[in-house]
Amino acid sequence: MTWNSIRTKVVATLAGCLLVGVCGVLAVTQYNFKRDSQVLATESVAGAQRLFAILETREISKMSAVSDSLIANSQISDAFRAQDRNRLLQVSTPLYIDLKRQGITNWMFHTREPGMGVFLRLHNPPKFGDSLNRFFDKEVVRTHVLVSGNELAKAGFALRVIRPFPDSQGQIIGYIELGEELGQFIRTMKQQTGNEYGLLLNKKYMDRQFWADSSKVWKRRDNWDDNPAFVVADKTTESENLMRFDNDLDSLPPEGKVLERFQSGNSVYVRGIFPVRDAAGNTVGAMFVVRDISSFYLAMRHAMKVMVIVTLVALILGMLFVQLLLTRLVFQRLERITAIATRVVGGDYGTEIQVSSDDEVGKFEQLFEQFRCVFVDVLAHVPELQQQAHGGDSR
Amino acid sequence: MGQLNEMKRKIEEKIKADGLNASDVKGKLGLRSGKLLAFISDSTPDDPVVIQKLRKAAKEVMNLNL
Repeated sequence: MTWNSIRTKVVATLAGCLLVGVCGVLAVTQYNFKRDSQVLATESVAGAQRLFAILETREISKMSAVSDSLIANSQISDAFRAQDRNRLLQVSTPLYIDLKRQGITNWMFHTREPGMGVFLRLHNPPKFGDSLNRFFDKEVVRTHVLVSGNELAKAGFALRVIRPFPDSQGQIIGYIELGEELGQFIRTMKQQTGNEYGLLLNKKYMDRQFWADSSKVWKRRDNWDDNPAFVVADKTTESENLMRFDNDLDSLPPEGKVLERFQSGNSVYVRGIFPVRDAAGNTVGAMFVVRDISSFYLAMRHAMKVMVIVTLVALILGMLFVQLLLTRLVFQRLERITAIATRVVGGDYGTEIQVSSDDEVGKFEQLFEQFRCVFVDVLAHVPELQQQAHGGDSR
Repeated sequence: MGQLNEMKRKIEEKIKADGLNASDVKGKLGLRSGKLLAFISDSTPDDPVVIQKLRKAAKEVMNLNL
């Protein structure tokens, strides 16, 4: 095979097509994977946000119903109206133990405005008399209806409802507040989706010393210095790397944000984050969503291998087929014409070129056969032509 | 005069000795040298260009040194 032959050029072209084909398959598969993983990440963030909102609504509804029955409880109502803290603690404690099992970890009674101090904390009875002066307190005083939402306290994040506590005549005698730690939400979300979650709290709204103290109380590592802008309040995974986020929580868009794909060992994850706002609308935290797409990644790799192999096999078969076709339709027939033309020149004037087809090469065969006939005829008449030439010269 | 014919004779001897296909070999030599061997006779003028071409062709096609 010579380098400038048509056969070499065709093989080189087909090999080029093979290379382009394989590269194309790899590029398309990679593009599909990137696009699909982006879609999965976006869907995970949006899904987590929806689920979080559903859980919030469900828990607010639950706490609202619980507060209804607590207000209707005459023992509690009488003790609160009488401002008898000990009796109130006594009648409420058994109920609080039950409610705690249901996830309601905070229960407070507040006195009426203007002071609106904490009359009793069921979750911390020795501490009372302080005024919290939060957005919630101002809102419930202003509206005298149930106010709900997230509230970031000094050491934690909780979903709370607060409402007026009326007596039997409908007169407001104070306020009742129930709350659930948001950290428990992420475990419910993990159970429902299988994704990993992390709750981040914005340091801007937190107290450093309170976080250190509460870390001791809850026997958790003081992770205040792990990140410059936030602390990880709770997470469903042990991995620290999965919860990496370098930007400011305040800059998060309301619909959340998809972060870069992440590979750890043999696992591949897509990650996203969405803001969690308090009742006043401040971005006091964020929910981190991590979805393991290893099985999807492996399936993509497998599909890519299969596609590359199929493309290679198909293109190699195609190359062989084109080669075979060219050899049979063109090269063999051209070689036959060359051999016959050579033999005719060598004196074998009787060898005819058989026209094997009506295609392009067949037309060439036909032309060559006609040329051979003329050539043979010329040779046969050479003596006569020479004689005519000599005759002409003598005249 | 006569050198081309002598070369033709040596070619024909070699073809016979080696049992080669005469028309095939003569055709190749004719195409390469630009001269039909059938037309070479004792009276054919010794064109130096044709002699050179035929010598080269004989070497390449038959490995014959003329």
